[in-house]
Amino acid sequence: MNKKGRHVVLVKNLKFVRSSIGVKYQKKAQSEVGNSTKAEQFINDLKKHTSKMNDVIFKKIPTSESVVTVIYSSSLVDKITMQLMIFIPLANHLNQIHQVAEVIKTTDVNGISSKLISGQTLLYFHQSNLLLSIDTYSAPTRSITNTETESTVIGPQDAFTESLETNISLVKRRIQNPMLKNEERTIGKETNTKISILYIDNIVNHENLERLRSRIDHIDYPAYFDISVLKQLIEDNPLSPFPQYYMTVRPDTVSYYLLDGRMVVFMDNSQDALVCPTSFLEMFISIEDYYNRWTTASLLRMLRFFGFFLTIMITPMYISALTFHPEILPYELLLNLQESRSKVPFPPLFEVLFIELIIEVLREAGSRMPAKVGQTIGIVGGIVIGTAAVEAGLISNILVVLVATSALLSFLPPIFLMSNTSRFVRYIFILSAGLFGLFGQMLAFAWLITHLLRLNSLGTPFMTPVIPRKASDLMDSIVRFPIANLKEKMGISRSQKK
Amino acid sequence: MNVKFIILAIILAMAFLTGCTAKEKKIPLEDVGMVGVMAIDYIDENSLKLTVAIPQYSPEAKEHTQIFSVTTELVSQGIVDIEALSDKKVVLNQLRVVLLNEEFVRHGKARGIIKHLFRNAEVGNKVLIAVVKESGEEILKEEYPDKPNINFYLNDLLQPSINTAFNPNTNIHDFIYTQTNPVLDSIVPLLEKKEGKIEINGIALFKGDKMLRSLSKDDALIIQALQGRKKLAPLYINLNDNNKEEKMMLDLINSKVRMKGNKSMDSPKLTVSLKIEGTLVEYKGEREGHLSTHEEILKLEEDINKEIEKDISKFLETLKELKVDPIGLTEKFRMHYHGDWDKTMTRETISKLQWDIHVETSIVSTGTLR
Amino acid sequence: MSTNKRKLLNRYHVVFLVQSTMFGTGVLSLPQRLSSLGYSQALFPLLFGVIASLSIWPMIWINSKYKNENLFRINEILLGKWIGKSINLFIVLQFTLFLAAIISSYMNLIQTTALPEQTLTIPVLFFLLLLTYIVNGGIKSVARFCIMAFFITIPMLYFLRWAIEKGEMSHLFPLFNYNGHEFFEALRKGYLSILGYEVIMFYFPYIVNQKKAYKHALVGIWISIFLCFITTLVSVIYYSEWQLENIEFTVLHLFKAGEFSFIERIDIIGITLWIFLILSTSAGYLWSAKKGLDSLRSKKKKYHVYLITIVIFAVVVMPIPLESQKKLFEGSYYVGYLLLVWPIFLSVVHILRKKQVQQ
Repeated sequence: MNKKGRHVVLVKNLKFVRSSIGVKYQKKAQSEVGNSTKAEQFINDLKKHTSKMNDVIFKKIPTSESVVTVIYSSSLVDKITMQLMIFIPLANHLNQIHQVAEVIKTTDVNGISSKLISGQTLLYFHQSNLLLSIDTYSAPTRSITNTETESTVIGPQDAFTESLETNISLVKRRIQNPMLKNEERTIGKETNTKISILYIDNIVNHENLERLRSRIDHIDYPAYFDISVLKQLIEDNPLSPFPQYYMTVRPDTVSYYLLDGRMVVFMDNSQDALVCPTSFLEMFISIEDYYNRWTTASLLRMLRFFGFFLTIMITPMYISALTFHPEILPYELLLNLQESRSKVPFPPLFEVLFIELIIEVLREAGSRMPAKVGQTIGIVGGIVIGTAAVEAGLISNILVVLVATSALLSFLPPIFLMSNTSRFVRYIFILSAGLFGLFGQMLAFAWLITHLLRLNSLGTPFMTPVIPRKASDLMDSIVRFPIANLKEKMGISRSQKK
Repeated sequence: MNVKFIILAIILAMAFLTGCTAKEKKIPLEDVGMVGVMAIDYIDENSLKLTVAIPQYSPEAKEHTQIFSVTTELVSQGIVDIEALSDKKVVLNQLRVVLLNEEFVRHGKARGIIKHLFRNAEVGNKVLIAVVKESGEEILKEEYPDKPNINFYLNDLLQPSINTAFNPNTNIHDFIYTQTNPVLDSIVPLLEKKEGKIEINGIALFKGDKMLRSLSKDDALIIQALQGRKKLAPLYINLNDNNKEEKMMLDLINSKVRMKGNKSMDSPKLTVSLKIEGTLVEYKGEREGHLSTHEEILKLEEDINKEIEKDISKFLETLKELKVDPIGLTEKFRMHYHGDWDKTMTRETISKLQWDIHVETSIVSTGTLR
Repeated sequence: MSTNKRKLLNRYHVVFLVQSTMFGTGVLSLPQRLSSLGYSQALFPLLFGVIASLSIWPMIWINSKYKNENLFRINEILLGKWIGKSINLFIVLQFTLFLAAIISSYMNLIQTTALPEQTLTIPVLFFLLLLTYIVNGGIKSVARFCIMAFFITIPMLYFLRWAIEKGEMSHLFPLFNYNGHEFFEALRKGYLSILGYEVIMFYFPYIVNQKKAYKHALVGIWISIFLCFITTLVSVIYYSEWQLENIEFTVLHLFKAGEFSFIERIDIIGITLWIFLILSTSAGYLWSAKKGLDSLRSKKKKYHVYLITIVIFAVVVMPIPLESQKKLFEGSYYVGYLLLVWPIFLSVVHILRKKQVQQ
């Protein structure tokens, strides 16, 4: 690959060979040489410019029209594409190249190098000092696989990959509608990442669209590795622990939201798609709810929604009941608890914090560990430590049940970011329960409600079901009514079509 | 933005400052002794004997309940004294049963003590009250070999159950309610210790704040029936007229009662109509073989009606003489009286009361045989 | 979010704002305050409802004459700068004291029942911090919090079922068993519990649909009155007259009658859920007091809220002898009555002025 193939330039014009004989021909030859020196100059400049980039390849190819130097970046272009698009037409039908390619000014050095590093092939015609470029970007990408983080039992299983074009194609094949627009931008001074904003023109609210566009255009951040970086920059309340935009890797979810009048942002090399605006309830909705029947869907949604509140209330309840209000518990349970707690030397607050931290460690280590080691450590951590800790008297066994249940419940929301948030919020509740018992818990709950009420998602209030903008919103909130009744768009998108 | 950070920092710092405030050290759950049963006995005019039972959860302790007993003048003083005897902090959060000595309530001291407990925010309102014939301390200290923990035993004994339907299940709220309501007089279940078991042996009838006398279980059942209780205990009926003795048992009784007053204060008359539906489970007497036809059953029902009416009448006579109203009959007259009603008016009304009782029994079935 | 000229509150906001500022700490001891009537107090809240509906009419009327001004500005316009400003100062002080009274009584309640071993300073501080957080979001955030508070605390109605089971409907009769003296005493003491709707005079400029504001406010008032009515009804059924008179917090004792199989003492959960209602009431008053301070100094500053909060904190926490604290709070309650009749006075002034201008 790093062969710097230097073809000997075959002089087409034999006159040049005979120039040593006749001066008459020398001038013509000189002009040709002049031409070729200008070309050589250009090529040398370019080579200097791309000096340390070992994968930029210069190939000089004689064609029927003139000598052509083919310049391309071999890490971004694959060999078969080169053959098909460049070398074969170069050899046989040169007009094809002229028809397909784009003309670039030879003086625009920056433009030339940016085209090179984005995977385009440059064709420099020595005779006519003509620079053409053809898009041959064909870097290897991952094939479309199942989603691992947002899987469903039924429904389509494909997920987005890191290639922007594949992702857009996954969406476009689901919504075959001429109104589906996508605008492209390049952001990030140092990485020059491409993003795409998709929306359906006759449904979306243009005010929202304008807001999104102006936000993206106004940020000034050098490097983007993933779309979550972009997300945190265009959020309304970046200080809040709650995510305000919906991130998903499933094309069916994205198409559902597009048809509902939202906007979706894709980023190249990023698997997730960003949906905005969104509301708090939607964090608990999974697209599978629409594939299930309405009874199952309603049941599961209620489970997820109340599970969120349960998971932040269970362990703090334990603390406040044991430390401050023992009269809440029925007598027999209380005796049981007293017995199991008699062996524990710590107050309930520290006990709970201790075991919560152990579970956090297990969770975090489990996600970072290599798969081969992960299984064993998981079993050791979960079962052995838990049982041994109870036997050693470090924690009470009732607490293990409670903490395990709340840990399971915290994984219910389909968005991973939301589960992380519930973990964080749970610590706040634990601390406030440890301070003031049930009163502290209710204070924390009131704080949570107020905080959620003040959040905005792209200008629209985050907790929209507080006052439903439209009565039909309620048909698709915690309880989902049969699909035949769900024809209207959600109020939050303020769409043009109802 | 800066202000927000400063405030956040202050809040976090506060969390640690809570240690600086002068508050009692929080006693963790295992060092708290929760009183399950409290018994109060009469010693003399000013002092009382307070006994408490605290369950022990530790499996190593030999006894599963600790019983402490002190002599004191005030209940709270007694609790403080008991704490000196026990190694745990004594709290009344899980108090379930309060036992009062009969002498104690005959001297009229019950109201003060129960009011004190009512005022206490720690104690719930569903604490059951009972009067005991002997000393409460003895009942608590006695060993009941085949019964569980004394706390559970007493609590379960006094809980509502179908066979003890005569038990009014008085709790603190009910007691204060009936004490302060001019229309009613309190009734409290009466316990007696018999050979290693505790038995509910009737109820104690109060007049004002003193216990007047005890009533038998049958009379207590009448009170419950007239107060509107729907499911009654199995009823034992003894028909005894014209030298024909018949004994029978009605079970699975549903009862419905309606009382109407005649709105007159000078000659109050009460119409009581009581409907009882039950299953005849056992019969011993003359008509034993003849109860298969409908007419026979009707006749039997009529006889039962007359008998029950007689019983109720007799009971109301007793109430009239004693001038007490545990059932709340005078409520029907208070409803139509404009002005303040007080206890003397209750007593007057009861002493002038006439009544008209209709009982309608209907025997629904006679078991699986005819 | 709290720009003066934007219309932020739609009709649901208005309904629930009016409802929650009325239904707060007063209801806890409402049966006790009305106890001079004895058993006949059951229908009393309905009477209060009628009075409230009538007295809110002049407020809305005067506000609709000055569509974009709140009461503070109206005072200045109608009565001149200096008198207006002094009245406004008076109102702000009254609200501050009123807030301090509400918070201090609730905190005392918490201390006696839920947190027996804790000194009150830190809980009060956290409570006030949360209150400023709510109010900083503007009137819209206050309104939305009121809506959420309503829906979160409505399930507490279920806790009344045990009291209804045990109670006797016959307590309700005779219906009007009181004389004039008792009537006025109950009226005087009991009406304080449902004060709160006068705050509408301060957020009127933000209401979108001002023409229908009266109807919406009525809906809010009657929701509160209905809830108060249920409370008094159940208390009358369940308690004896002596209990009504002597139990400080009758509603909580109603909760004590209940039990589930897994939770014994529901009254503790009831008390701590009550914090939502207290917060919603106080947020309305604090927001109005902040607006008052803004208009007094004719500029909007962020620290106004904190200033008022610090004063409230000082009043609640400082070791003033209990008697004088009680007298101070009682005084502020009665001044609240003054605020009720104030709009009538202002309407008269307004009409006189108009006549003057026409002449």
